[in-house]
Amino acid sequence: MSEDIILDIRNVTKRFPGVTALDNVSIQIRRGEIHGLCGENGAGKSTLMKILSGVYPHGDYEGTIIYDGKELNLGVGAIRQAREEGIAIVYQELTLVPNMTVGENVFLGKEPVERGAIDWNKLYADTRDILAKYRLEVSPQSVVKYLGVGKMQMVEIAKALSENAKILILDEPTSALTESEIDKLMEILENLRSHGVTCIYITHKLEEFFRITDSVTILRDGRTVATLPTRELTQEKLVSYMVGREMKERFPRSHRKPGEVIFEVNDLHAVDPNETNRKVLNGVTFNLRRGEILGIAGLMGSGRTELVTTIFGEYGKITRGSIKLEGEEIHVSDARDAMHKGISLVPEDRKGQGLVLMQSILKNISLANLDQFSGFMRIDGDAELAAATQQARALAVKAPNLQVRVDSLSGGNQQKVVIAKWLLTNPKILIMDDPTRGIDVGAKYEIYKLMNDLAERGVSIIMISSELEEVLGMSDRIMVMHEGRSTRTLEIAEATQERIMALATGIADELVAA
Amino acid sequence: MAVSTNVNAPKPSTGLSAELGKRFRSNIQTYTIILALIAIWILFAVLTNGAFFTAQNVSNLFRQMTVTSFLAIGMVFVIVTGNIDLSVGKLAGFVSVVAAYFQANVWYQMIPDQPLIAAILSVIIGVGVGVLFGVLQGYIIAFLNVPAFIVTLGGMFVLNGLILLVTQGKTIPANQPYFSEIAQGYLPPIAGWIIAAIVVVFLFWNMFRSRQSRARHGFELSNLGLELIVTIFFSLLVIGYVYWVNQYRGVQTPVLLLAITAMIMAYISNNTRFGRYAYAIGGNREAARLSGINIRRSIFLIFILMGLLSGIAGIVLASYVGYGTTAAGQGYELDAIASAILGGTSTLGGVGTVFGALIGSLIMSSLTTGLQMLNVAPAWQYLVKGGVLVLAVYADVYFKKNR
Repeated sequence: MSEDIILDIRNVTKRFPGVTALDNVSIQIRRGEIHGLCGENGAGKSTLMKILSGVYPHGDYEGTIIYDGKELNLGVGAIRQAREEGIAIVYQELTLVPNMTVGENVFLGKEPVERGAIDWNKLYADTRDILAKYRLEVSPQSVVKYLGVGKMQMVEIAKALSENAKILILDEPTSALTESEIDKLMEILENLRSHGVTCIYITHKLEEFFRITDSVTILRDGRTVATLPTRELTQEKLVSYMVGREMKERFPRSHRKPGEVIFEVNDLHAVDPNETNRKVLNGVTFNLRRGEILGIAGLMGSGRTELVTTIFGEYGKITRGSIKLEGEEIHVSDARDAMHKGISLVPEDRKGQGLVLMQSILKNISLANLDQFSGFMRIDGDAELAAATQQARALAVKAPNLQVRVDSLSGGNQQKVVIAKWLLTNPKILIMDDPTRGIDVGAKYEIYKLMNDLAERGVSIIMISSELEEVLGMSDRIMVMHEGRSTRTLEIAEATQERIMALATGIADELVAA
Repeated sequence: MAVSTNVNAPKPSTGLSAELGKRFRSNIQTYTIILALIAIWILFAVLTNGAFFTAQNVSNLFRQMTVTSFLAIGMVFVIVTGNIDLSVGKLAGFVSVVAAYFQANVWYQMIPDQPLIAAILSVIIGVGVGVLFGVLQGYIIAFLNVPAFIVTLGGMFVLNGLILLVTQGKTIPANQPYFSEIAQGYLPPIAGWIIAAIVVVFLFWNMFRSRQSRARHGFELSNLGLELIVTIFFSLLVIGYVYWVNQYRGVQTPVLLLAITAMIMAYISNNTRFGRYAYAIGGNREAARLSGINIRRSIFLIFILMGLLSGIAGIVLASYVGYGTTAAGQGYELDAIASAILGGTSTLGGVGTVFGALIGSLIMSSLTTGLQMLNVAPAWQYLVKGGVLVLAVYADVYFKKNR
């Protein structure tokens, strides 16, 4: 143990109700290295980061973390404290105040004061010095909102360093950057390393590990699989560590025979409606058969959610390509139009997009369907209640009655309420965006069975999932997305975790198949 | 996998006191505010040696609350959708001077011998002006995406200017006989009793009908004894009220008008798509949008409704004071907002009831009347009202946290 370990994570376990997010995780990080952290969505990376940054305080997890020679002991709500201790996270979603200058942002909350007034000259001089020292090429007086994402990230880094950060955690720093900005960032990181700053580097782009890190820790299902020096790794090795080998029997299989193609998406291109020069879809092609479950795999930011919300008429502005339903080209204008055409979407964010949390189960289930129960004015309360009751019963929503507020239900039951709402619209195509995220194993199983039942009854399902096992366990075919494009649609028989991961991370398919 | 669903399992009725406790806890906000009202009443009754509860005073108290109550009812819908309307006071004021202007200058020349038709036309024009202004503001808010706070703040200035234009800085009388009846009239005692009887029959019918419907769908029925007690309590309240105001001059026309409006609006809030959408938009705009709700249209309609209710309030106001003045409606928007919030409407949107707003409005007007009876200087009246508003909301925050 002659090595200088700055951060020693020992046997850390973090449980949530129903889920163990981190299971006996141990990682050692040497002072001054760039340490990569690698794993699928849901492998436990973000939970670990939240522990290090004080979102989950000391005592909220098991195990010990030795930081710079002492045990890390962050109190409740100690995000500030973590920063003072020298652990700083540069989030992908940037946390700057857009209307302030670079200098104001760097010194926000710790402005130098001279006789009760802010000493602006000192503030800008100090900012300039920090920026120069770490070769961050941005002017202290620029207003942040006029900077590009790459420059904003530099400001974030400068802000962290101004607080004497000893460990800089970079969470997916390159996902919004252009190629040249990425090159620039790599230079900055190398410079930081030469100044002795330790970095933890999280990314989904595997090639970046080889480009910048000294060693890599791989997490899977909340466990540390391995920590290896980068030079001993290859991409294939990394992927096999990420996905593991075993596949548990957690998925009910039904014997269904998908029918004819009813839905086709051809070379779909779309841009962000609010920033029309930002492309979100760069050519997506796939089709869907009657009574089929089509899985859409891809890493976060690969355009999965953008694809389905665009199909649903609620997000992207289509610039090229076509969507055909039952052989006829359709143009969906908004959610209501999509529902009338027979397309329903169970959205990704259950609480933010799926439910009105303060309202009852009944009102949530009927919300998208009040036209069915209404005359010119009046809602037929009896018909509404009868239909909602029937749905709640079919989906086995566990609640004392339908008047209960949905925020008192468990995640699995909340998700059933969202699904019930959309089934009541009687869809031909049901799109489910990460339908089992954050719900317990039992409720997951019930939702899988429900999906099978629906498919057998002829409903076509598009399922986005972040869990490879789920995609493999439930789908008839799997379409893999990478950077806004559909790469390939795999038949279930030819799909393996390695192949999907290879397609999703942009490594050539053949590399792994060989 | 064994999946039990107890959505439909009828549970045995629980004990009366246990259920009363449960009901209290689940509606803590409503009960807190009602208790606050009762406390205020008792306080004033003691301080005024009972004068507060004389038939005449009670009659005036309820008559006084009507103008802001119309505004408060509409304000509930506006705030529930996460918006605000600062123009309602001035809009009611503008409607009142328009109604006065037509009475004093137009009908007098056009139809001098037709006071009834003149009164009806005044009402139509007044309400029409309210609706038109609602259409205008609603359009700018919903379709041009200008925040409601700014649009209605601007609307307030515009209306102030319009009031000055119409009145030319003078006071216009609005006291034609039929028109005055709207806010100053009383029903004969017998009519009051008939209405009370109808309301009581309706309360019982509604209780049994809803129980039947719940039973038909296999829902848990609450304790019959408790529901009977609640229904009998409200019946007695109505009967007691009619008895007491009959001791003075009878049921007040504007109060009847308000009661009918409130019932219609309460019905709309629960039993129409329009009402449901308003709550869904305020509760979670994103979920509402993804559920296919046309948010712009809903917001547009809400502001038209607010305009309509402001129009009605303006007519009642003109009839109540008997003239249109430059200061008409000044500050009423704040009373309306305070009433809605006292009544449990959440400024974050998604939560609020018409019934609550009425109670809130009653508290505000009880404070005004009571403090006036005690000869408290206007300055102190404002201090007390402001304190009560903040205290009431704090009590609510406190109880929610410590439940």
